[in-house]
Amino acid sequence: MTPLRVAYCVLALGLLAAWQVTVIPESPIQMPVGPVLTPGVVAGLLLLLGLLYGISAWRGRQTDAIDGDDGQPLAGANRRMLTLLLGGVAFIALVVPLGFVIPATLCGMGVAKAFDAPFGVRSAVMCGAIALVFWTLFAQVLGVGLGPAVAWAF
Amino acid sequence: MNAFDSLMGGFASALQPMTLMYGFIGCFVGTLVGVLPGIGPALTIALLLPLTYHVPATGMFVMFAGIYYGAAYGGSTTSILLNTPGESASVVTALEGNKMARRGRAGPALATAAIGSFVAGTIGTIALTFFAPWVVEAALAFGPAEYFSLMVLSLVAVSAVLGNSVLRGLISLSVGLLFGLIGIDLQTGQPRFTFGQAELLDGIEVTVAAVGLFAIGEALYLAWHGKESKAGEVMKVSGSLWLSKNDWARSWKAWLRGAMYGFPIGAMPAGGAELPTLLSYYTEKKLSKNPEEFGKGAIEGVAGPEAANNAAAAGVLMPLLTLGIPTSATAAIMLSAFEGYGIQTGPTLFLQQGGLVWTLIASLYIGNVILLVLNLPLVGLWVKLLKIPPPWLYAGIIIISTAGVYGAGNSVFNVGLLYFFGLIGFLMRRFDFPAAPLIVGLILSPMAEQSMRQALTISMGDWSTFFVRPLSGSLMAVSVLLLVLPPLWRRLRKA
Repeated sequence: MTPLRVAYCVLALGLLAAWQVTVIPESPIQMPVGPVLTPGVVAGLLLLLGLLYGISAWRGRQTDAIDGDDGQPLAGANRRMLTLLLGGVAFIALVVPLGFVIPATLCGMGVAKAFDAPFGVRSAVMCGAIALVFWTLFAQVLGVGLGPAVAWAF
Repeated sequence: MNAFDSLMGGFASALQPMTLMYGFIGCFVGTLVGVLPGIGPALTIALLLPLTYHVPATGMFVMFAGIYYGAAYGGSTTSILLNTPGESASVVTALEGNKMARRGRAGPALATAAIGSFVAGTIGTIALTFFAPWVVEAALAFGPAEYFSLMVLSLVAVSAVLGNSVLRGLISLSVGLLFGLIGIDLQTGQPRFTFGQAELLDGIEVTVAAVGLFAIGEALYLAWHGKESKAGEVMKVSGSLWLSKNDWARSWKAWLRGAMYGFPIGAMPAGGAELPTLLSYYTEKKLSKNPEEFGKGAIEGVAGPEAANNAAAAGVLMPLLTLGIPTSATAAIMLSAFEGYGIQTGPTLFLQQGGLVWTLIASLYIGNVILLVLNLPLVGLWVKLLKIPPPWLYAGIIIISTAGVYGAGNSVFNVGLLYFFGLIGFLMRRFDFPAAPLIVGLILSPMAEQSMRQALTISMGDWSTFFVRPLSGSLMAVSVLLLVLPPLWRRLRKA
């Protein structure tokens, strides 16, 4: 990823927004400003700013953390990010059929792996304990609806 | 009833055992999140928003205020002992505080930070108590046009003045405005930017966006970078946890000067806590009788910025409580908590919810005392927290973030959105886009649009209403100046 590619993303978001503005249904209510004006202005602003950012990035005037104090990431950067995201995907896919604790444990293991903790029993025990403590605190003590700790319906 | 009588009524309510307990929990949790890197007050309050259905409004806001103040206190511990600021306003504290710790003076550094935070936090709260009713009185004359202009000013200020680039700030703001417009238009009932998804008809939850940007985004960035897999070197708490006569003499003026910078700047639309801490640091450096100690561990360099940081925290509450205008990400999330309770913010808040507001202000005084008591005696506990290995720390942060978002509505769609915002947060962190304009834009865009439409309905569609009404026109002029002057100034300096 480079600042120029970020500019493409901003422009793509602006175009997507502009397309969505064209599909907003006309309001039957008579008023000085309808539902289209503000979204239209925001979409236009985003396109304009994306263009300015793109020009600035093309001239090499935009920053990237790898050029700053933090420096280059260590080898395996994309793998670590992917592992973290896969933990989230595991939670999304499994929370309804399996209940909260097992998917949250897998999610935590993905995160721990992204921070270089081995994907093993120790990680499973630690993340399982964290998930169980949070489920007890949120669902049992504070009454937040997290669903069952473990669903046995499968 | 005058401010003093109202405040006494607030104390009567804040000293009720249950309210006091919420205040204590807030201060404890706030200090905890201030100490821990990667988790701040905005994220914590966002995660606690689902509880608004279960806890009375007074208790909840007292807890939020405790978290907010507590984080300002706790950030100094990490800065001094680990040289890693827990929150952005503590960056300056690390400059001298960690050097003091390395010279075996961690105890006095922690003590001057805690006592200075108490002194400045109390000064800031006194200022809030007596200035807020004036602002409310003035703001009661505001119509929709003035409100719209004030929101424009707030949005421009947060985007153009904070951060390193006006352009990146404005892009962040525009993305926030866009996300804020997603859902059913409240005036006409038309869906906007929903892509036919029923889950988007109610708009994007602030919790999802804030937690995604701050928690998932930060974790993704640190994982990508790969240099956080081991806990940093935590300095020992060396030296007495009390101040010597010389330390007192060098600290007290710095505390007062820091408070004088912190409150007014914090209360401004684009103030925040970063600018007053920097100003305080450079002022102390200039006024110090021992300027050669700066960069090697000067106590004034810890006392002033920490005081400024805490006074700014009180200042930020001023526009939030009196005008309903958030000037930081944390304030924006507190505003959405008011909405969660169905409480209308703005100047009428003091009239319609006077009991709640004065209890909240009284709890800030009590919170300051609790935090002073919590901070120094429990420093050993905070140090232990700093030694949690990053894999388990971030696993905990992400699990609690995911649980908080999932628990708000049992929506898997929202958890997906959480990780989508996490990716946006990663890109913003990597390419130096500020996150606060996105959050403030997300919350203010529907409110600003509604004020604009009301003003245009009153003026029969005449757009000049925003410019010909004296107050509205002045606010618009200030917005334009804020947008134009900083880049112009930079160009002139280069030339």
